[in-house]
Amino acid sequence: MFGVRSCERDPLLKRPFCYFRKRGDEIDILYRVVGKMTSIMKGLRPGDKVEILGPLGNIYPMEEAECGAKIPLVIAGGVGIASVYPLLERLKGKGILFYGGRNKKEILLRKELREISKKMVVATDDGSLGFRGTAVEAAGDFLKGRDREGFVLYACGPNGMLKAASGLGVNGYIASEEKMACGIGVCLGCAVRTKDGYKRACKDGPVFRTGEILFD
Amino acid sequence: MQGQRNKKDRKLEVRLGRLRLKNPVMTASGTAGYGAELAEFFDLSELGAIVLKGISLTPWQGNPTPRITETRCGMINSIGLQNVGLEVFLREKLPFVRQWDVPVIANILGTSAAEYTRLASALEDAGVEGIELNVSCPNVKEGGIAFGLDLKSFRALVRAVRKRIRRPVLIVKLSPGAPGIEEFSRAAENEGADAISLINTIPAMAIDVNTRRPLIKNRIGGLSGPAIKPIAVRMVYQASRAVKIPVIGMGGITTGEDAVEFMLAGATAVAVGTATFMDPMAALKVAGGIRAWMERHGIKSASAITGAMLA
Repeated sequence: MFGVRSCERDPLLKRPFCYFRKRGDEIDILYRVVGKMTSIMKGLRPGDKVEILGPLGNIYPMEEAECGAKIPLVIAGGVGIASVYPLLERLKGKGILFYGGRNKKEILLRKELREISKKMVVATDDGSLGFRGTAVEAAGDFLKGRDREGFVLYACGPNGMLKAASGLGVNGYIASEEKMACGIGVCLGCAVRTKDGYKRACKDGPVFRTGEILFD
Repeated sequence: MQGQRNKKDRKLEVRLGRLRLKNPVMTASGTAGYGAELAEFFDLSELGAIVLKGISLTPWQGNPTPRITETRCGMINSIGLQNVGLEVFLREKLPFVRQWDVPVIANILGTSAAEYTRLASALEDAGVEGIELNVSCPNVKEGGIAFGLDLKSFRALVRAVRKRIRRPVLIVKLSPGAPGIEEFSRAAENEGADAISLINTIPAMAIDVNTRRPLIKNRIGGLSGPAIKPIAVRMVYQASRAVKIPVIGMGGITTGEDAVEFMLAGATAVAVGTATFMDPMAALKVAGGIRAWMERHGIKSASAITGAMLA
């Protein structure tokens, strides 16, 4: 995870983005234009400067998946695909990906994702591409009749999706999305409610174990 | 070289009562945790003092999320004084920050004068150099704000804590909502405070007009950042004219020039808060900026800036 801020100091605070992929000596950030900072980023030209702080926070633990003990079940919603992309790459085609968006237009990088996944299921809310429904529902269908113990979950997306993914009964890891101010663990703004009290998404996370986070 | 550097450093030295600070820049409580996170970015001994996150007798879990939202030139927070409590603080947090050659100022909060005095005693025994009474957090009903808005209980609280501690400097952090900042400042001085600090955040609110929901779960939070700086400068000016004890100014300081502005208004020292969220190195950059300003203006001593605004 990185914090990115405009050199104009407006907005004041950095915005958190995850590491997406590396090309040569450049790092790509995948983002959706939603507000002021991302609008500024969209308008950046080669040579423009931004302030970057990072890397920050933790990453998905991959031991069980890498050694082959468990099959990685990867669920991504919207731009949440950015955080699981390097995971799928690292797992070299071992991961089963369920990738959801509102419609066909929101499903990005289909060719690349197919290449780095063992199996990919696309789900759209309006059915314009793949399974009609959510990625978690598609994953639920896939799991029917299968032993959930054989999988390790990796999920990234909006809170509602993470809550649903946690309900699949597959142990693993979820990456939380919270508003952040400092990114370094001092402001306690990005608190995530867990079994052990509030934790900081920026410093203790953003990746937490399934069952650790208490959803509303 | 070493001698030269020391000499240079002495130029920035200021005093808060008996406490000598290498430079006028402190952290603002709640923006530096207990020191460990910032220590990953710089040598904490470069600070004038480190003011730690507020501590209560028992752990407080804080407010529900979302706790923060950015507004134009500022941010609103409603963290709710989440903290580990005195026992864990003394056992796990204080020993860490003690490793640096920097005065440690503990910020304390409670729901009664008895809680404040117990905290103050325990922290004096633990050897902190300063104690800041938080009587101004807008985000919890029991976070001391009741003391910060009522002159009678305010006086009684400062008096009670003053009686209990001898060695650490006693700082009282005032609320920008205090009815009559001069009166509260004088009351703190008369009851034996060594310094006052201001301002805490200003109660504020923001609503997402698309979802029609408040952007902070608690609805109302505290506004900080450059947006509040002119209000803070005005209050520091008023407070410092009302008392002889040193005033610690804060509210939206992001540069050395901002800090100098507070000092010209009457502050002896300053605290950097929200700017640390923008840039973890902000406090050191502010100290460097004060030094650069002094060099440009031929000022030999930071303490000479205090109250040096020209008519």
